[in-house]
Amino acid sequence: MGILSWFKYKSPFGLAFALQRITGIILLFYLILHLCYLSSLQSKELYETLTGITVSKQFMILDSLLILLGVFHGVNGIRIIVHELGFAHEIRKAVLAISAILIILGWIVGSYILFIALGD
Amino acid sequence: MKFVIRRFKERSYWQTFEVPVKKGMTVLEGLFYIRENMDPSLAFRASCRMGICGSCAVKINGRPRLACETQLSKFKEVKIEPLDNYRVIRDLVTEFEGFFAKHKKVKPYLIAETDYENPIEQLQKPEELKRYYIYTLCIKCGSCLSVCPSSATLESSLGPAALVSAYRFNSDSRDKGKDERMKIVSESFGVWRCHSAMECSEVCPKKIEPAKAIQLLRREALR
Amino acid sequence: MIECDIAIVGAGLAGMRAAVAIAEKNSKVSVAVIAKTYPIRCHSVCAEGGSAAVLRKEDSFELHAWDTVKGSDFLADQDAVEFFVRECPKEILRLENWGCPWSRNPDGTIAQRAFGGHSVNRTVFAADRTGFHEVHTLYERLLKYDNVEFFSEYFLTNLAIEDNRIQGLSAIELKTGNLVFFKAKAVILATGGAGRLYGFTTYSHQVTGDGMAIAYRCGVPLKDMEFMQFHPTGLVPSGILMTEACRGEGGYLRNKFGERFMQKYAPEKMELAPRDVVARAMWKEIMEGRAFEGEHGPYLALDLTHLGEEKIEEKLPMIREAAIKFLDIDPVEEPLPVKPVQHYTMGGIHTNILTETPVRGLFAAGECACVSVHGANRLGSNSTVECLVFGRVAGEMALKYVENAKDVRINSEFIKEEERRIFDRIGKGSENPHAIKKELNETMDRHLWIFRSENGLKEALRKIEELKERYKRVAIADDCRKFNVALLSTLEVGYMLDLAEVVAMGALLRTESRGAHYRVDYPERNDEKWLVHTLAYYTEEGPRFEYLPVKITKWKPVERKY
Repeated sequence: MGILSWFKYKSPFGLAFALQRITGIILLFYLILHLCYLSSLQSKELYETLTGITVSKQFMILDSLLILLGVFHGVNGIRIIVHELGFAHEIRKAVLAISAILIILGWIVGSYILFIALGD
Repeated sequence: MKFVIRRFKERSYWQTFEVPVKKGMTVLEGLFYIRENMDPSLAFRASCRMGICGSCAVKINGRPRLACETQLSKFKEVKIEPLDNYRVIRDLVTEFEGFFAKHKKVKPYLIAETDYENPIEQLQKPEELKRYYIYTLCIKCGSCLSVCPSSATLESSLGPAALVSAYRFNSDSRDKGKDERMKIVSESFGVWRCHSAMECSEVCPKKIEPAKAIQLLRREALR
Repeated sequence: MIECDIAIVGAGLAGMRAAVAIAEKNSKVSVAVIAKTYPIRCHSVCAEGGSAAVLRKEDSFELHAWDTVKGSDFLADQDAVEFFVRECPKEILRLENWGCPWSRNPDGTIAQRAFGGHSVNRTVFAADRTGFHEVHTLYERLLKYDNVEFFSEYFLTNLAIEDNRIQGLSAIELKTGNLVFFKAKAVILATGGAGRLYGFTTYSHQVTGDGMAIAYRCGVPLKDMEFMQFHPTGLVPSGILMTEACRGEGGYLRNKFGERFMQKYAPEKMELAPRDVVARAMWKEIMEGRAFEGEHGPYLALDLTHLGEEKIEEKLPMIREAAIKFLDIDPVEEPLPVKPVQHYTMGGIHTNILTETPVRGLFAAGECACVSVHGANRLGSNSTVECLVFGRVAGEMALKYVENAKDVRINSEFIKEEERRIFDRIGKGSENPHAIKKELNETMDRHLWIFRSENGLKEALRKIEELKERYKRVAIADDCRKFNVALLSTLEVGYMLDLAEVVAMGALLRTESRGAHYRVDYPERNDEKWLVHTLAYYTEEGPRFEYLPVKITKWKPVERKY
């Protein structure tokens, strides 16, 4: 199957490409799931029960993971937009490195805010 | 040094050869050694041995390289396989008709009014030459197409080499065929197949940066 | 059976130029371009320095012709040379019109550089990858024509000739390994030289003189085969060419004492004397112990350090890249180790000025042919443009020929015999063809090099006979037809052995020194006896020789001093 070729990458750029696809699929999946979830909250009792489960320290790990996926997809997406406009190809290694740093920072900051928000 | 080669006759199989290595020896010299002294049936393409003909592109330790330019001193052991995304004919020799057909599709020739019987010199300033010169260096080795994930998932994708060729002619100050070419590369199998995996720029032995050329071509497509 | 009007064997500069010439004039005639590699993988892409042509007022056809005739040590046919130099400028301009990225002067005109043996700077160039750019320009141009079809990776095995008239040819389709027969009213051979006869050579691996050997076996004479050009600067130890343009742009040659030794041999032209003069000078320095000693043997220094990085990057980028990649030496900082290397085959299939061979409908152009324009020594940058000029002539002549030609047919006996010859008879023995080739290379490197002697040549002939005997018992260690490289290598060795015999015997019989052929026992040029071309005809017992006088029109032979 052609899609397996995504994982025959030869450089960090190919890896970024494959991860962009994977995170994109997972985020899409999540989005649909999330909308289904929200639209299923038809009553106050159902809302309080379900949010009691999903907005909790146990789910925080999954949410943190979600933040990572989202930040990755977003920052990498911007990196790709820059390159697709024809800029910075000569310094693409540096751009990739900077993106990696921004992603990690973004993930840490986002997870921290999540942690604070949940801290009770 | 151990040469582990993925061969193919009716079926794919691996074969290992122990090759004596001298200082400065290249992978291609190793392959010739095997053919001349150990197994005359080892099939691979090679011609110029100086990195200008593009025949000997193979996957060496997982990465496409020109065998004639790759020093053995870089490695402890060498794993050689045919390039990905091409049908294997025999051992390391792959089908290349498709690659050249894609190249032909973009009209990779100068489109201009010229006189065959009494040609006249057209002027071109050095700055104008510089604008497209690097894209004339493509040796059609096929490495870029072998690592392009978009081309792997859709057979009809034009691929990096063909698109670089299109850009090379569009940017030649003597060419008048830009509109014709843009029509072809603006199809869904042309520039729009590129999603910036940039693997092509990483493996091009002539450091042409096909990814950049494709993006510049894309800019033209949006006009 | 594949039918076409004109079959061109060889997709290098000459072959592709012939195809363009035909397609430009006639879009109905079917042209088959048959080659053993894909067109852009031909050996022509390795040409570096440039293509000579008279483009500017300061130059003249008279001067270009004189330079060429003097460079050839007066063995060139002067009527052919006069025709040739008048066609060169148009070929350069045509390539330019087709998109070739010639290097330019600041005002936008095509730039020209100095080259050995030319009295005016007339060598047009595209950085130092001239051949590469010319080939790609021609190939891309050929994609325009609908009546030209490429048959790539088809290996020529024989020509079909009946009543001294070409009927077609047979070739192995490498992909399937099957023998394919082409019916063609005219055939143009443009299969290139025979460099791989030698071990230390600038040639690509696949240049094994196929077309020349097959034409020879079919009765077409080979001309002037003993004249093999030795290029002064081949990188040690690979043999990769360091273009003459290195010296054209101002590089120096030094021996181990740092002297520019060319002062002794060619005080006026120095490093820009013609190739045979420089190669002999270098080899003399090596033989007399004034060369550096390295792990790959003796070498001399090509010094480009005084040119500066900017000039080298602009004018000689590829050789810089090659030196760094293959030797880890940067020519900007250090001199390069070089040695004379076998580089060009002046001789080839005997043709007249119209590229016709004695067989009707068979034409030959490019390095595999010998018109002769280069005589006993070729000037640099004259070959690439010769391929273009005579490629065009061959194409137009073939076209004229087929317009009035009768139908052809390939004898079924020929088909049966060819199948038997290729698949049943060859390769039932035990000799390793590669071992035979290696010994052939060693023999040629030793006895048919720059300085030749009677004893050396006799020894070479004896060895070649021995190798031919062993070849009768050669083994083909692969029974799968698909891309059978063992069969290919074996057939190639057979071609090379036939050619080696012609070269060695021609060299033995020519008791004089002229151009690139230097006999230590006959060091002088002998115009009374030897102002003739050597013609070699195939017989079962070995080549039979005849001699053809050189055509003189304007210039009587004089002493050749530089």
